[in-house]
This record gives sequence, structure tokens and C-alpha cells, in this order.
Amino acid sequence: MVYCLILCRSLTYAQRTAKALERAGISAYITRPPRAITGEGCGHAVRVPQRRLSDALRALARVGLPAQRVFVSESDGSYREVAL
Amino acid sequence: MIYLDSAATTLQKPERVAHAAARAIRACASPGRGGHRPAMAAGETAFACRQAASELFGVGDPERVVFTCNATHALNIAINSLVEAEDAVVISPWEHNAVTRPLAALGADVRVAAAPLFDADAALAAFDRQLTPEVKCAICTHCSNVFGMVMPVEAIAGLCRERGVPLIVDAAQSAGCLSVDLENWGAAFVAMPGHKGLYGPQGTGLLLCGADAPVRPLLYGGTGSASLRQEMPDFLPDRLEAGTHNIPGVAGLLEGLRFVAKRGPEAILAHERRLVRQTREGLTQLPGVEVFGDSLGQHQAGVLSFRVHGADCEEVGRWLGERDVAVRAGLHCAPLAHKAAGTLDTGTVRVSFSAFNTAGEVERFLCLMERLTRGR
Repeated sequence: MVYCLILCRSLTYAQRTAKALERAGISAYITRPPRAITGEGCGHAVRVPQRRLSDALRALARVGLPAQRVFVSESDGSYREVAL
Repeated sequence: MIYLDSAATTLQKPERVAHAAARAIRACASPGRGGHRPAMAAGETAFACRQAASELFGVGDPERVVFTCNATHALNIAINSLVEAEDAVVISPWEHNAVTRPLAALGADVRVAAAPLFDADAALAAFDRQLTPEVKCAICTHCSNVFGMVMPVEAIAGLCRERGVPLIVDAAQSAGCLSVDLENWGAAFVAMPGHKGLYGPQGTGLLLCGADAPVRPLLYGGTGSASLRQEMPDFLPDRLEAGTHNIPGVAGLLEGLRFVAKRGPEAILAHERRLVRQTREGLTQLPGVEVFGDSLGQHQAGVLSFRVHGADCEEVGRWLGERDVAVRAGLHCAPLAHKAAGTLDTGTVRVSFSAFNTAGEVERFLCLMERLTRGR
């Protein structure tokens, strides 16, 4: 399944993000992103289905938790950053 | 045992507190350290606790609820964030050593907003006079740990907002029984213990941070975030939470917060005030007993001090302790408060209540006090 990772600065921010998405009816769970995309090392991300990404970004903007960086999974296991 | 020392630590806790702490020891690892189930369980517990606290204490978002070891730890972070050497800092006369010692260590220019005990109007007027343009910070206890006096924090917060002075509130005795509302007050920080009126385990505390408050870490170390950087993260709560969390404590505190939210701080306060009134009325009938109480009861929470003329307060405390009544005697780590009330030479005996005390316990305590003072 193709999915997106919304990078979050901290676990607590990821938890707020995931809760906001759940409240909006979007399946979301917290995961540790691969080292290759975290930039500053050790981070957290919220995983959402790619088909719900637009809804997710809108929902997060509405509650004041805008996504900063989003990556989409590729079939070869790599990640591509999504321009926001 | 009749336990009347909840201003130090509530001994009787809701059953769920101990159960939750025990469960966390078995099932939770460390939040933010790993993506495995025990780490995520710890993270969920921590987040639930932050959320519960943010709802109960009017914090806009749970990221600004920081876990600490106790109120002293929280106050040290707050003071260290706002105060530099020689800064003018206004404090109430009822502050604990958790406030005065950090200020002394920093070399602050401490100015006491002096006012008589249980006179809220005079307390407000004293802050009004002392909050001059050069003042960098104000610190006020919400409720005196010695005398139970409730300070007019909401009005003091209004003065601080008007004059642009950041306010730190010590809610050590008020969290759980008085209304604490960070955003409404516009305070920079509110510090509180988890183990008193929130019925959590010892070793827990909370620092509520205002949206614009500058935060300077006391501890530096791992946070499970931004690990490549050698500076502490610039976001909360990570900036102030270096090292592994006390997750069993946090799990217990979460249940304590749920207990307080369910019962309601107003109901707990009303219960404690009934017991204070009963104690005050009983003690004032006894010969040689001087009671420090607000006769109208409007400005006093669940803490009451007294002394017995001709008897050392520590002796009174020991005598009661031998009869299975736990009270606290001495200076209560608050010499400034005793100085302000004129009790520095003698100290006082303090009784303090929780949601679990009963009128019957107060009655038995008063019977013992009647025995102690007979013939005086």
C-alpha cells in the first residue's frame, strides 16, 4: 500500500497530529521514520494513506497543526518528498 | 492512622493510581525511544496525561505541559528561564523555599509584596505598589503551604499583564482544589506537584508553560528527537524533558488527574473547607491554642496552622504522631511565610486535608487536642 509520512518535530507533536487526523476520520498512526528522511536524526512521523493526504493536510491546517514535510513511499522502498 | 499532612503529600490515593503505576512498570518503556509497543505504550500514557492536565488547567495545547520531578523542579525551571542575577523580582510574603532559594542562588533583587495574613485586598494592593517598571518577574503562590491563605492570583495576574511583567504561579497547594487556568491568567508559568492535590505518586510534577514564555533548560541530554543537534530542541516539551521519564509516576498521575476531574476541584475544595472550619472551630475552644484561620473562610483552602502556648510545636507533632495522627510541625520549608505571620520563632503545627479525610477523623483529632491542652 502506498502511504505518506508526515514528519513531526517530536513525539508529542506527532501524537497531536495523529489525534487530529483521527478526529477528522482519517486513519493515522505514529511511526519512526527511516533515518534517510529525518534530517536531524531521531524523529517521529504520522503515517496516512496516500489517497487521504489532501484531506489530512486540510484537516491539520484547520486545527493549527500544519505539516512541515511530507514524504510518499515508492514501490522500491524509497521515499520522495512531496512539495507542499 | 489519621493522616492530616496532605499539604506535604497525599498519602491516601485513588486505588487506580497504584494500579496504573504498577501496570506501567510492567508494560511501558520510554516514550520517544523506539517505535516498539512498550515505547509507544509509554508515549500514549504520557500524552494522555498531558492532555488531561491541559484540559484541567486551561493549557492551549498539551505540548506546553512539561513533566517534572515535583513542584520545586518546575519552579526552578521557571525561575531559571526568567530571572538573571540582580533582576528585580516581586514575590508574595508566603513563598516557599522552592521559590526563595533559587532566587537567592541567582542573586536576584527580591522584593516582598508584604500584606497581612488572609487580607486578599491588601495582598493585591501590595503587588500593585511593587510592580514598578524595573521589575522583571513576579512570583506568587496560589495558596500558602503554611496557612492555607488563597492569594488573589487572578487579579495579580491581571496587574502583571497590564504592566508586561511575566508571572510565575506556584500552584503546589492549589492544583486539584482551586481553579487553575494558565491561559486565562496569561501567566508565563504555573508549577505544581503531582503528589499532593492531584493524588499522583511522589516524584511527579508539572510545569505549565505560557505560549510565549522563554524556556531555558535546567537539564541537557537525550530527548528522542533532533538527535544530531548538540543544542537542546527548541520546542516543547522536549526542550525541558532531557532523559528518561518517570512513566510509572506519570501513569499514576494520569489516574489522579482523572479522579480530580471526575470529582471536581470545587467539590474537593468545599469538602476540605468544611473540615478546616470544623478544625478551626474546635481548636479555638481549647485553652492556650492560637489558630491561624480566616474567620470567614473565603480566603483559606484545606490547610490550617496553630500553635499551643507553652508547648514546642515539634513536641505537639510528636505527641500526636505517637497517637497515630500525622501532622506537620516546624517551619514547613517556608521561613519567609512564618516571618510574615510572626511565627518564625515558634513555628506552627499544620493540619492539611485531602478528599479522603472525614469529619470523624477531625473529631478524633480534636479529642486528642483536648487531652493535650487540658489544664492549660
